[in-house]
Amino acid sequence: MFHCEVVDVKKISLDRAQKFIESYKCGASLFFIGTVRDHNNDKTVTGITYDSHDSMVKKSFKEIYDEAITKLDLQHPVAFVEHAKGYVPLGGISIVIAVACKHRGQVYDFSRFIIEEIKKRTPIWKKEHYEGEEETWLDGEQIKAKK
Amino acid sequence: MKIKVELFGICREFSDKDHLNFDFNNEITVRELKNKMIEIVKQKFPENQNYHEMVDKSAFSLNDEVVGEDLKLNKNETISIIPPIGGG
Repeated sequence: MFHCEVVDVKKISLDRAQKFIESYKCGASLFFIGTVRDHNNDKTVTGITYDSHDSMVKKSFKEIYDEAITKLDLQHPVAFVEHAKGYVPLGGISIVIAVACKHRGQVYDFSRFIIEEIKKRTPIWKKEHYEGEEETWLDGEQIKAKK
Repeated sequence: MKIKVELFGICREFSDKDHLNFDFNNEITVRELKNKMIEIVKQKFPENQNYHEMVDKSAFSLNDEVVGEDLKLNKNETISIIPPIGGG
């Protein structure tokens, strides 16, 4: 079972994530929450603006979920993934990944797999805002066409 | 041949709109479109080397799929530029 969305930061809800992943078939659940921290590259960060190619992002999230099930041999997998779009202030939530599986070991692998793959291939961009310095779009991973 | 390029990430700085429009006399490939964008960005922002380097590092996507640079574009196509990513 899978849910994903790109949402305004005000709409990110841990309650909705909790409700979505609840299942009597699962003995373990895990929440990963990404937040905006106050420093990066020796600069004082005040917030981050996230940009997203929404339809590609949702497609990418689903592909990652499907791959995780196969590669990790997950039993009764459930995942809820939402990423913020727009300005997220210091301490604000940028991403929620809530997962549930039959056993505890699987949820750690499942959650880690999702966030690491998002970092590598999902078209989301960050513009960092700093105290006393000009905002900057961060460089990242180059995307290649599938062969 | 008209081509619309949807802008994302750092490439949004290239225009007040969320896209750039191009009009080519002949059929072009993605690579040729990319080279044209680099040329325009160099002209518009001569002091900002990072901008054209970012275009050079970018991929392009059609119908939510990243496409190869040899792909020939159809007239009135809308394509997205995908600069290096880094969400999460």
